[in-house]
Amino acid sequence: MILETINLSKSFGLRKAVDSLNLGIPDGSVYGFLGPNGSGKSTTIRMMTALISPDDGEVLIQGNSVQKLGNKTLSEVGALIEKADFHKHLSGETNLKMLARMVGTEMSRVQTVLDRTGLGTRGKDKVKTYSQGMKQRLGIAQALLSNPKLLILDEPTNGLDPQGKKEVRDLVRELSTEGITIFISSHLLDEVQKICSHVAMISLGKLITSGKMEDLLRDSDLLMTEVHVDQVEISVKLLSALEWVHRCDVVSGVLRVGIEKEKASELVQYLVQNNIKISAIIPRTSLEDLYLSKFGKKSQI
Amino acid sequence: MLGLIYNELLVLGGRWRSYIGFIGISILMPLILWGFYQGGEELHKDYVRELGGTFMVVGSILNSFLATYIIMNTLWIHIPFLVTLAAGDSVAADGANGIFRTTLTRPVSRIKILISKLFSTYIYTASLLIFCAFWSLGIGSIILGTGDLIVIDNGILILDESQAWIRMAFSFFLAILVMCTVSTICFMFSAMVNNAVGPIIGTMFLIIVGYMIIGIPLEIFKKIEPYIFVKYFNVWWDAFKDPIPWGEIGKKLGVLGVYSAVCFGIATFVFLKKDIKT
Repeated sequence: MILETINLSKSFGLRKAVDSLNLGIPDGSVYGFLGPNGSGKSTTIRMMTALISPDDGEVLIQGNSVQKLGNKTLSEVGALIEKADFHKHLSGETNLKMLARMVGTEMSRVQTVLDRTGLGTRGKDKVKTYSQGMKQRLGIAQALLSNPKLLILDEPTNGLDPQGKKEVRDLVRELSTEGITIFISSHLLDEVQKICSHVAMISLGKLITSGKMEDLLRDSDLLMTEVHVDQVEISVKLLSALEWVHRCDVVSGVLRVGIEKEKASELVQYLVQNNIKISAIIPRTSLEDLYLSKFGKKSQI
Repeated sequence: MLGLIYNELLVLGGRWRSYIGFIGISILMPLILWGFYQGGEELHKDYVRELGGTFMVVGSILNSFLATYIIMNTLWIHIPFLVTLAAGDSVAADGANGIFRTTLTRPVSRIKILISKLFSTYIYTASLLIFCAFWSLGIGSIILGTGDLIVIDNGILILDESQAWIRMAFSFFLAILVMCTVSTICFMFSAMVNNAVGPIIGTMFLIIVGYMIIGIPLEIFKKIEPYIFVKYFNVWWDAFKDPIPWGEIGKKLGVLGVYSAVCFGIATFVFLKKDIKT
């Protein structure tokens, strides 16, 4: 494991922000970290990066305790925590040079990471002239500055337009192919599903579930399935009346049904008994479905 | 460490607020020098009257040295305020602007970052005082000329021009050390909060309260006076005594040094324990 949290806990006053959290991030993985607002994601990430001290437990990076050794453990870590903030009155290049100077990184890396994040031609402009998307890309650039083995990204696509989000997603994919372990917190479940190999979900500071993405989707209690039928509207009416059908929508003329896994054969039987012809049943459980099954309403995301 | 200090100076140099002090001095000093130039004769008469006919004065007493000596006596609220403008921002601004999320997630110890910030604040403080000296002594010499310096305190001390230059330089050096104490106090407040205004107000409040305590002749205040740091602000005066009271200067600087060390100690303790939530 490149990154581990052991019984990590933190309270703010009476509120327990993180409660005995145990996570293990395998080397080389792209690890999605999900949870509703206020679930303790940012607090956890800040404890991982030595910005906040835990009340109990510890964070291990490459086996070294962040709490015992402090920032020394972050020598091979790049982090972007929430939105990227810089000295606005200085240029992007100067900001990166300052960060490079802090830890003795070669200055040539500055232009490399600026080019890599698409800011190569804007590096000399003051940060105050940057759009939010450009600032976020500069944030990713600073995280890459020290050639990290572990990249911790907290909501890296915040404030980006669709094109910017795609660029970040592509960049994360590209970095993961280079062997960099990426720990990413995001609200965008479809993006996490597209890029992450592993995922953990927390709520009220407690771990709800974690593991490999494919295992979690496969082993999920909830089964979302596409059902291709000849009479869609009648099928919706029939299924909506059933207690054990959690969801029943029509997407592009195809029935999408959410049921518990063991009810799959019952679903088929029920439709056939009601003279509905079924041409195909395709399991389509997404991360969003899994998430909603764990946390309920979509508005919580 | 030098790299970190250089970084801090880059930030300080790029912030418009850092120039308020220099702009303020550039506006204030020509006005004061012009005032001395215009009202020089009156001042000369006042000084001669104080000398009580003991001396025969040839030429004018008023020159850049005397002007600087008088200016230094009048700026003991203004200069600390200008100094705190940078010191107040030093740590608090990085917290408020979210910069610590980027800098403190790097393998650099917090204490190194804090020391570099303190040193850059000291460099700023020294620059401000040197700039003040440049105006009062440099430009002042062109406008008012130079000559002997006559200091009337508990007695009369006449310093010839070469001695006056040395004493002035020494006096400004002591003033820089005094202002560094002010910077450190403001720096301590800056490490405690996430906005720059609080540290400025806090420091100025302490200075004003300090002046009040040493200014009010009450027995209770007399007892606590030795512990009030502003009591030692006048150490720069000792540069104009003859012989120079090295022991007294050492004692005063020692007290100010202890104040600075305690304030920096508190700042370090707070900053090392601080959770970065912004």
